[in-house]
Amino acid sequence: MLQDYLFPETISEAVSFLKSNEGQARIIAGGTDLLLDIPEGKIKTSCLVDITRIPELSKITLEDGVISIGAAVTHNQAANSELIQEKAAALAQAASCVGSYQIRNSATVIGNVCNAQPAADTAVALVALGAVAEIANPGGTEYVPVEKMYAGVGKSTIDSASQLVTRVSFPAAQKKQGTAFVRLHQRKALALPMLNVAAMVALEGGKFLWARIAMAPVGPGPVRALSAEEILKGAEVTPEVIEKAAQSALEQANPRSSALRGSKEYRTSVLPVLVRRALEQAVANAGSSCK
Amino acid sequence: MKEYNVVGHSVRRLDAVEKATGTAGFTSDMKLPGMLYAKVLRSPYAHARILSIDTSEAEKLPGVKAVATHKNTPRELFNTSATMTFTVPPMVPVLDQYIFDNVVRYVGDEVAAVAAVTEKIAEAALKLIKVEYELLPAVFDPLEAMTPEAPVIHESHKKNIPGGEVIQIPYGDAEKGFAESDLIIEKTFKVPVQKQAQMETQAAVAQVGLDGKITVWSTTQTPHPTKMILAKIFSVPESKIRVLNPPYIGGGFGVRIGLSAKAEPIAVALSMLAKKPVKIVYTRKEDFIASDTRHAGYVTVKLGAKKDGAFHAMYLKAILNGGAYCSFSCETPGVLGCMGMAVYRIPNQFYYGHSVYTNTTPSGAMRGFGNPQAMYPIESVVDMMAEQLGMDPLELRLKNIMQVGDPWPLPYKCSSTGLAECIAKGARSIGWEKRGKLNKPGAKKLRGIGMGVGTHCSNAWPWCGDYDNAYITVQQDGSIHLATGVPDMGTGTSTSLPQIAAEVMGVGLDKVSITFADSASTPFTIGSHASRTLYAAGTAVVEAARDARKQVLEYAGEFLKVAPERLELKDSVIYVTGQAVGNDCSGSGVCQTGESERKSISLKELAYNAHLRNKQFIGVGRIVPDNAPPWHAHFAEVEVDTELGQIRVIKVAAVHDVGKAVNPMIVEGQIEGGVLMGIGYALSEEIKYDEKGKQLHDSFHKYMLATADDTPEIDVMIVESNDPTGPFGAKGVGETGLVPTAAAIANAVYDATGIRFTEIPLTEERVFRALAENRK
Amino acid sequence: MSSKILKFTLNGEPVEIAVSPEDMLVDVLRDKLELTGTKKGCGKGECGACTIIMDGEAVNSCLVPAMKAMSASVETIEGIGGPGKFHPVQETFMDLGAIQCGFCTPGMIMSSKALLDKTTSPTSQEIKKALAGNICRCTGYVKIEEAVMAAAEKMREKQ
Repeated sequence: MLQDYLFPETISEAVSFLKSNEGQARIIAGGTDLLLDIPEGKIKTSCLVDITRIPELSKITLEDGVISIGAAVTHNQAANSELIQEKAAALAQAASCVGSYQIRNSATVIGNVCNAQPAADTAVALVALGAVAEIANPGGTEYVPVEKMYAGVGKSTIDSASQLVTRVSFPAAQKKQGTAFVRLHQRKALALPMLNVAAMVALEGGKFLWARIAMAPVGPGPVRALSAEEILKGAEVTPEVIEKAAQSALEQANPRSSALRGSKEYRTSVLPVLVRRALEQAVANAGSSCK
Repeated sequence: MKEYNVVGHSVRRLDAVEKATGTAGFTSDMKLPGMLYAKVLRSPYAHARILSIDTSEAEKLPGVKAVATHKNTPRELFNTSATMTFTVPPMVPVLDQYIFDNVVRYVGDEVAAVAAVTEKIAEAALKLIKVEYELLPAVFDPLEAMTPEAPVIHESHKKNIPGGEVIQIPYGDAEKGFAESDLIIEKTFKVPVQKQAQMETQAAVAQVGLDGKITVWSTTQTPHPTKMILAKIFSVPESKIRVLNPPYIGGGFGVRIGLSAKAEPIAVALSMLAKKPVKIVYTRKEDFIASDTRHAGYVTVKLGAKKDGAFHAMYLKAILNGGAYCSFSCETPGVLGCMGMAVYRIPNQFYYGHSVYTNTTPSGAMRGFGNPQAMYPIESVVDMMAEQLGMDPLELRLKNIMQVGDPWPLPYKCSSTGLAECIAKGARSIGWEKRGKLNKPGAKKLRGIGMGVGTHCSNAWPWCGDYDNAYITVQQDGSIHLATGVPDMGTGTSTSLPQIAAEVMGVGLDKVSITFADSASTPFTIGSHASRTLYAAGTAVVEAARDARKQVLEYAGEFLKVAPERLELKDSVIYVTGQAVGNDCSGSGVCQTGESERKSISLKELAYNAHLRNKQFIGVGRIVPDNAPPWHAHFAEVEVDTELGQIRVIKVAAVHDVGKAVNPMIVEGQIEGGVLMGIGYALSEEIKYDEKGKQLHDSFHKYMLATADDTPEIDVMIVESNDPTGPFGAKGVGETGLVPTAAAIANAVYDATGIRFTEIPLTEERVFRALAENRK
Repeated sequence: MSSKILKFTLNGEPVEIAVSPEDMLVDVLRDKLELTGTKKGCGKGECGACTIIMDGEAVNSCLVPAMKAMSASVETIEGIGGPGKFHPVQETFMDLGAIQCGFCTPGMIMSSKALLDKTTSPTSQEIKKALAGNICRCTGYVKIEEAVMAAAEKMREKQ
């Protein structure tokens, strides 16, 4: 049963609250997932440590070409940030798809990642953006790629009873780089994705320098379409190449059948379409178009 | 067309201020001194016998004041639907439910309930109730439930058919009609479980007085029949039970015609045990799993036509999933058949239909009441027929639609129709001429246009008894008070009925107030459903107002010393009109001599004058309504993303002949909401069950009803055919918005893709599979 | 159960009330403060009936721990206007038929107000996005969107 609710003022205070409660306390940011899990008994905790009033965690910053998003930054903050819209369009798009406007006003991007749902929209975008999380541990600071933060379906490597993800960072899209996010859903709000795909591409001289593609839910967390990335690397930017890459995305994808959100067969059939559309948009956002 | 002072005007709703400020009273907001909170223990199994139930631990939990089970509540069979109180012989009501039984028949069925000082304690107490179940075989599909080896769900109904009632409606000679037809098309369709998903969940507050009087505030759409059901369950005289809304309901759409699921009897039973007021508010999940849904099922249409396009024969068959208890499962297939047979002039028809018990959530009334289940299949087959005949589907419909005075299978007349005008207006709005010319070769997003038409009823007769009453009292200051028993579940009747009263009484709407939805302070009515409220209760209001007006004018005649026939009541003033003829003894027989100097008197002065002479004007309206068909034509334009199978509705044009729009703004709102619900029925709304009978779509998050961001352009147009039977010419409109919507969308999807879908909703996956199949 | 003193500003007035860390803001508003205008349609952030404005942002009060309101400024339907001084969006909801059963209305109005507080020239798309978390089963959203548009216009005229 919940006994206490704390507002630490600094990161170190938050971590020391966790430590002093010896696993009985837990981080809360937006709380929109956590507060559904607690009454259902999925999560047991006696104390919530609310980090949304730690000033530095509410910031979106750009420093030396690296964008950082603090742990208290909400989906709407990210979606409406001009910086994110311009330099990380995939994340802005992903953030604007989650839940509803009200949910996005409470729910945080990092909370979305830590909740570890397989198709967490912003996690998919962050993996494509190559984001790394900064984690405050009792013993010090640690850096982990967002891609590596999944320990299983619905399981994060982060223990919110002892650790605090303070921010995620990723390089801002440069000239001739573009990012995009596409999502297949049954309605435009209040719906989890049937599939979602994010892509980041770097172009030069009509060719792909490199590409990073993340897709979900086709595994425990966002899954990189490594075969597709390999095909694109150094290849001409043409519809044929994109199509070939899109098809190869299936090599890393292992979608499950969901009674609510599409069979394995359907998801498998349409995943390449989404990958293709994400790549086309990313290319367009990079200021180029297919020849 | 006649212009009225109040009727026909889009005035602001009388409940607008309360609702816009959050002060409107709903059951779920109520709090009474000493009130307890109830929670219900529900079956986790689709079919099981309760071998034992031990509530002792729950009773010991501090704060728990009562625990109810099948052992300490009345063993009195009932039916949650209002029609059981008005089943017209020779039909007999199907009574198949107890508050709690020792057999549970669907996941969510009531096992026990607790009343405690807080909701949390009540919830904790549920976990302390020990129940031992013996699992029984279960069946979820109506066709399977009809097989000989299917488990029997109610011992009293061995064949799993509620009431054993198979509805057969012969009309002309169908067999001969098909033999004489040049073209015959037959197709079977599968329709899904749709949910009302009204915003306020089922709720009730019961207060049982020490003198035995019972007051129940609840979300019911029918306070008077609900009072009758409760009186039967608890063996209490009806005069000792008062059922009312407080006074608003957060939507209905049919889900509480009669009891609000079991909210009322559970609250009363617990209140009797605890001797305190008890409140129960269903959680959203409970509302999904343990509260009536629309009937799913299988509908077959066989249509025969002559070469010139004249429809000549139709066979319609419906097997509906009734779920675990009867509710409206006898009436729904009846309305499905009647409405399906009433749209076109077809001389030879036959309808066969019934419901089947299964171990799913009970199916009951939902907006449209069988009609959408009829019209999606029928209108699909009509389009197929048009293609076979090489005719424009619009022209084919115009050729065959019912006209005023045409014979039809219904026991009332086709008294008015503006359907041809609806079709013409809708075609213009959607751009019907673009049909078939919207797509470039090789396009991956395909557009299409389709249409559907339909009718409905304006009250519940002849499917159940239907009558209505109203009182109008002229207050001592000349203002008007109207009392009618019908609820306003959002449809605006607490505004449009006063509009009618004001018009007849010759006063402004600001002079009229209304008491409604209370079994104690209003006369009997069967409530708000069947698109009847304005039509039937409105007719009673007209009668009551005429009666009161007559009394006013007679009294004024004496006062002004003229025959009442020469008086006009307008803007709350009574005027003398025309010239005296002779002794002026014409008309009423009230003979006045020596005309007064005064040529007018205000209603205010007159009413007070009457008061000083010990008199009040009280008008009574007691009516048995006729019935009348509203008509509607919907046109949809869609875009199909063939790579993903997703359908986007671009626009729906919905044109409705409502007879007369008493408040056009309210009428439009009814249609717009219905259209969106119809789009959901066509594309995304469905409750499915897993292999153990558990609902898969038991929350707003999982059940795909449309949000604001999913809403296409909806162009609503009103046609007024001025029905001779309705108040000011009005007909029903509450349900019609979703009747032909799925048909129009399915026909548009066919136009876009060439694929005829025989199952809705047209989900991404279903469409994708069909497209893939089609490409082979 | 340990109880905490929650201090916040509610509709412009300071409030001090004992709550449990388990309490959700919607329940504190409805049950303890008896402001039942804020409705509870699902309790899980899936319908928006409980929408309030906290520090300028529309949120689902059923997913906000009461403690999160500490030192915050909270607006509910009861605080935004009434007879004689209706908020423009209340006026247009009433006049343009955007209200039917009324159960979604308070949340819908609060979401609309939050949007109009940020911009008085919203696009149709912005309105749809801002209201997509508020389920309405009665209206088909048509007149609601019209009402928000009309309220925006009223507010622009006043500016």
